[in-house]
Amino acid sequence: MTGNAISVASLGKKYGDTWGLKSSTFSIRNGELAVLVGPNGAGKTTTVKILATFLKPSQGKAEVLGMDVVKDYKKIRQRIAYLPQGFGINNNLTPLESVKWTLVARGSSLSEAKLRAKKWMELMDLKECMNRTGWTLSGGEKRKVAVGMTLAADADIVFLDEPTTGLDVEARHIIWKLVRDIVTNGTTILLTTHDMKEGETIADTAVLINHGETVNQNTPHNLIKTLPYQYRVTVKKEGLNGAALPDIIDLGDRLIIYAKSDRKLRDLMACFSDLSSIISVDKVGLEDAYLHLVNGGNVPK
Amino acid sequence: MKLLRQILGIAVINGKWILRQPLWIVQSFIGVIGMTITLFAWGNNPALSNLVIAYLIVGSWSLGLNIVAQTIGWQRVDHVYEAYVASPISLPIYFTGTIIGSMPFFSAHLTTAIAVSLLCKMDISFVPIVLLISLVSLILGAFLSLSIILRLKNPTNISAITNPLQTLTTTLPPIYYPLTFVQPTLRELALIMPTVPLMEIGRWIASMPTGLNLAFSLVSLVAWIAIVTLLVAKKLKWGLE
Repeated sequence: MTGNAISVASLGKKYGDTWGLKSSTFSIRNGELAVLVGPNGAGKTTTVKILATFLKPSQGKAEVLGMDVVKDYKKIRQRIAYLPQGFGINNNLTPLESVKWTLVARGSSLSEAKLRAKKWMELMDLKECMNRTGWTLSGGEKRKVAVGMTLAADADIVFLDEPTTGLDVEARHIIWKLVRDIVTNGTTILLTTHDMKEGETIADTAVLINHGETVNQNTPHNLIKTLPYQYRVTVKKEGLNGAALPDIIDLGDRLIIYAKSDRKLRDLMACFSDLSSIISVDKVGLEDAYLHLVNGGNVPK
Repeated sequence: MKLLRQILGIAVINGKWILRQPLWIVQSFIGVIGMTITLFAWGNNPALSNLVIAYLIVGSWSLGLNIVAQTIGWQRVDHVYEAYVASPISLPIYFTGTIIGSMPFFSAHLTTAIAVSLLCKMDISFVPIVLLISLVSLILGAFLSLSIILRLKNPTNISAITNPLQTLTTTLPPIYYPLTFVQPTLRELALIMPTVPLMEIGRWIASMPTGLNLAFSLVSLVAWIAIVTLLVAKKLKWGLE
């Protein structure tokens, strides 16, 4: 399938006198996994709530599967699934029951819901605790149940608002694998996160949002390519020998230093008499691209 | 068929807590049975006749005001409501499923009311009609509660609102005691409480003495339904907020 699954133009939402979202413009193609990245309060959740037809936009236009979110909300709801940020599972249900009865509430038959719920218990690595009530589950297990309830719906478009917040690395990897798998099978996913590494790892396209406005949209690779740097080096300040460096982020007793090329990186290394002062040397990533873009092309101070 | 399945799904999700924590029902039964014995000891059959009506009306009122409204209120706080909005589940499915899921809580009142009617050899032909009033009572109770808790600016302990509201509307006004006990000049004033016209209509259906002309109770009930429906309609939105 080709074409856009989601199109947003100058989208805005006002809460009283305050704009929660000022002007967001982006589009996501069918079968893509898009991440909406930005700091807290940037407007990510508001954007998703409008697309999920929970909030009515105050300005602009938003389409999901070619349908207007205000005029065609009933049709859209037949084809989407949404995991809100802060979603609390029902502790009186077991994980298996949560997924099964949510599917029944969405309209699945009892037998189909049972089969799919069991399958998702395995996929989410919840098989061992699938018959225990929510009261006895860990925070990570509850989060996985919530994600499973949403993904099991087999919707055309899935909205996941910070699904991996608070999860350990292994649980995050399980969810990353599952969302990549279902995207490969044709589902479109819009996922919000402020974990840039997550965005960089799983996204086909990243929409950067700041202060209620879209900053840029591209593949993580292309966004990173906009940077004039190749490397970021995290160092202890004490080992610097007083060298003057232009492109740095001050973190107190530590610094992040950007290097534009291999040669500049070697020059930087030469500034250190004690190499143990160098904590890490990495290729620049989405986080650096984001900081660069929201700071108008400068290294953020 | 799909519609029924959807309602069943919501009913199971929202009613499972009652089955997983059966002591709530046990507590409800103990309270109802204790009240029955107390009133029988002091007032014998007339008190029990009134009690049958009260259990049917107030039992469902409490179900709506406390259980159904709390479920919806907490699901808004927990963002479960948002997930349901963004799905094929509609507001009527959600509301009906939530009511059906909460129904086991009504079992104590319903079974005791029927048992008392049979034990006292009462004519129970009025019960089906009073049960229809119970349904109105349930929905009105839920709407009244929701019209308040959906206006709370900060998420709070919702039961701290609904429990006092239930006590206020069921123990103070002439519910378990007859309206005829109230001074005639104050009887119209008692209609301020929505449970009073509901009880008066119930007593009238069961051919029991009423304290006011039925028209007063009907007007009061219609006014309550209109006001509370308007208040709740402004806040109980199914998306596009």
